[in-house]
Amino acid sequence: MKVAIAGKGGSGKTSISGTMARVLARGGHRVLAIDGDSNPNLALTLGIPPERMNDLPTLPRDLLKRTPEGAELTKTLDEVCDSHSLTGPDGVQLLVMAHPQHAGTG
Amino acid sequence: MHATVRSVIEAAGNSPQEVCILDTEASPEHLSRGTARYADAMLCIVEPYYKSLETGRRMAALAHDLGLVRVALVANKIRDERELEAVREFADRNGLEIAGVIPFDEGMPGAERAEAAPLDFSPDAPAVAAIAALARGMADANGGAAPGNGAATGLAEADGGG
Repeated sequence: MKVAIAGKGGSGKTSISGTMARVLARGGHRVLAIDGDSNPNLALTLGIPPERMNDLPTLPRDLLKRTPEGAELTKTLDEVCDSHSLTGPDGVQLLVMAHPQHAGTG
Repeated sequence: MHATVRSVIEAAGNSPQEVCILDTEASPEHLSRGTARYADAMLCIVEPYYKSLETGRRMAALAHDLGLVRVALVANKIRDERELEAVREFADRNGLEIAGVIPFDEGMPGAERAEAAPLDFSPDAPAVAAIAALARGMADANGGAAPGNGAATGLAEADGGG
């Protein structure tokens, strides 16, 4: 299942995203949580101390290559997660798309 | 960033055991860029007041245009029956499903102030229980009962719709 959570700022979407991720991981699912916000704070609602994001390398610029259909990753998702994700409580993997220091540039 | 998010979701696993949850940007702009194109479902979180509902409706329309199979509202911070009725009425009028109802709960802002996960800060909070039910309902509807959790039960306890 791939589910996108949307809503106005302050609607509670990040608390809901984080809690859904934790509950499903605890129930035995393998969960990848993606923080697609340019002001990332999903880590907190997953129970991952935000300062752990400081150790994360930014996603490389050459992660995408163009294809006739659009674009695809130049690495497997597992490879991307190995180097760029954090593992939190209940085994949730967190992938942050916009680095806090680079917020707004995406 | 949007193209990368899109490709990451496309590459994420499709097996019933695997779950990918995307917390999107607050502005609806990402939707017109197709960030969520490869998601199976989109939940638009709304609060029971007009501007929030209207944003939810716009996001739902964009998600439909992207071709997402399931697009639904989630009513959040609901204090009473009257507020729930307002969301239901809005959903009915616009032909939208309500996938979940989450009560207003002091535990949620409390967790934020404590810089903790709601599930750790107030595991027994009514809002946490409602989000857990929503999560399991979504997974079940996707045929995705986790190993050891028994068989999938079919459709989620969806409400509303038109």
